[in-house]
Amino acid sequence: MYNEVGPSEMIMHMGPQHPMLPGPFRLNVKLRGETVVDSEVEAGWIHKGIEKILESKTYLQGITIVDRICYLAALTNEEAYVGCVEKLADIEVPERAQYIRVIMEELSRIQSHLLGMGEYASFIGFVSMFMYTIKEREDLMSVIDSVTGARITHSFLRFGGVKDDLPEGFADDVKYVFGNLRKAIDTYEELFSTDYIYKARTVGIGTLTADVAKDIGVSGPPLRATGVAFDIRKDEPYLVYKDLDFKVCTQTAGDVFARVQVRLDEMRESMYIIEQCLDQMPKGPIFPEGTAYGRRSPVMRIPAGEVFHRVEDPRGEMGFYMVSDGSDKPYRVKIRGPVYPTLQALPPLLKGVPLADIVSIAGSMDTCTSEVDR
Amino acid sequence: MDAKAMIDSLSSQFPGVIYDAQVESDIRILAKVKPESVKDICQYLKEKLSFGHLCCEFGVDYPERNEIEVIYVIGSYEHPVLLTLKAILSRDDPKIGSVVPVYWNANWYERETYELFGVKYLDHPDLRPLVLPQEMLGEWPLRKDYKGFPNKTAKNLV
Repeated sequence: MYNEVGPSEMIMHMGPQHPMLPGPFRLNVKLRGETVVDSEVEAGWIHKGIEKILESKTYLQGITIVDRICYLAALTNEEAYVGCVEKLADIEVPERAQYIRVIMEELSRIQSHLLGMGEYASFIGFVSMFMYTIKEREDLMSVIDSVTGARITHSFLRFGGVKDDLPEGFADDVKYVFGNLRKAIDTYEELFSTDYIYKARTVGIGTLTADVAKDIGVSGPPLRATGVAFDIRKDEPYLVYKDLDFKVCTQTAGDVFARVQVRLDEMRESMYIIEQCLDQMPKGPIFPEGTAYGRRSPVMRIPAGEVFHRVEDPRGEMGFYMVSDGSDKPYRVKIRGPVYPTLQALPPLLKGVPLADIVSIAGSMDTCTSEVDR
Repeated sequence: MDAKAMIDSLSSQFPGVIYDAQVESDIRILAKVKPESVKDICQYLKEKLSFGHLCCEFGVDYPERNEIEVIYVIGSYEHPVLLTLKAILSRDDPKIGSVVPVYWNANWYERETYELFGVKYLDHPDLRPLVLPQEMLGEWPLRKDYKGFPNKTAKNLV
């Protein structure tokens, strides 16, 4: 155990506040010289009790709460929550609303990857990359803002539809932003693959094999970087993903470099998805007609039942398990976040690496502590 | 193998242990399971039916039935079927075997279920609170009869 310190060993605490950490968690590392012998993750520094809060909020109020699970993936969190209620109450989402949701969720995936990648590069000393990615991300945030009216906590999805239709000229804005973003992503890729120091710190570091990754239960880019094409959008398609043409981006190396490469490829793929959506999107209503649940239904009773709905978050598999007892509030909501198993997998990954590689490995997982603690 | 064949295979392998099984759709199965044999069933699921991915594990409290349900949602990397297993425990003394030897990532899920519901996991390698402070152990905040935390606010703790 990590508490027993042998001769010439020491314990070092990284966090809860540390430049490496995107949110507060503490990594207790036992070192012998500069080599990590053992480590332990302490979570709970920003435990918000969201699962308990949701039990005392009506279904509509819950939408604003689930935004706060992780602000980088607010729209996919909403999708998982709203999808649960739609399955329980058997609400059909009109096709146009489904396309709008896909567009917004893919936009939010791109901005999450941009921030995650830029932050990661700055963790390992490539600070100018953060400035590059944050510049492109800002354009994307303006595009998202023009639809949802908010930058990070959107409260945009509703049961059976979305809050608003796309604004005038949205397709042109997207086209303009994507033109710049495509060039920028090519530049990032070139910078990453030619920078000698960056490669020295990432290639062959923190390698996960496919079997180990499956065994410890990681999902999302860390899993796809090992060559397992596990993506909820393909395996269990929700919304209109089955009508769209996209591929699941994988790498085979499984190291830190491959994880960043998967995120770069996924951003290209997301842009391709959004362009298809804008081409294929039909005209029509954004709310179902002739149901009891409409745009303005602050109190709605959902039939009793249990459902598990999962979506593909920027970081992996996001699932909500909802138990309804027929009242206007959920009886129990379990939030299964993608980072929870990923963060748990840090101690075995860090065993035996040099101290300086901790930042490189832990940062590459794109952890969001806010979502682990909930 | 589709969902129907899977649940048939499971029920014939463990007669009497799996009950109330229902196939909700092509990719969703719901079944109840006797708490004492959860680990054996998970072992069988992982090795024979390639259910290698534990999505989550958590509790649900039912005070009027005096029961706590521990729910396992188990998926797979090979096929899209998702299996929901329910183990029903008594609310007075909830105890269940740990599945950490089978699914490594159950470790944190079980620690969290322990601190929030008071479900004791036998043979768990490291049963400590995960997200809550040590002082809150024994309050079981996600149970339905939890009345808040009035006497242990930050002011009183200092």
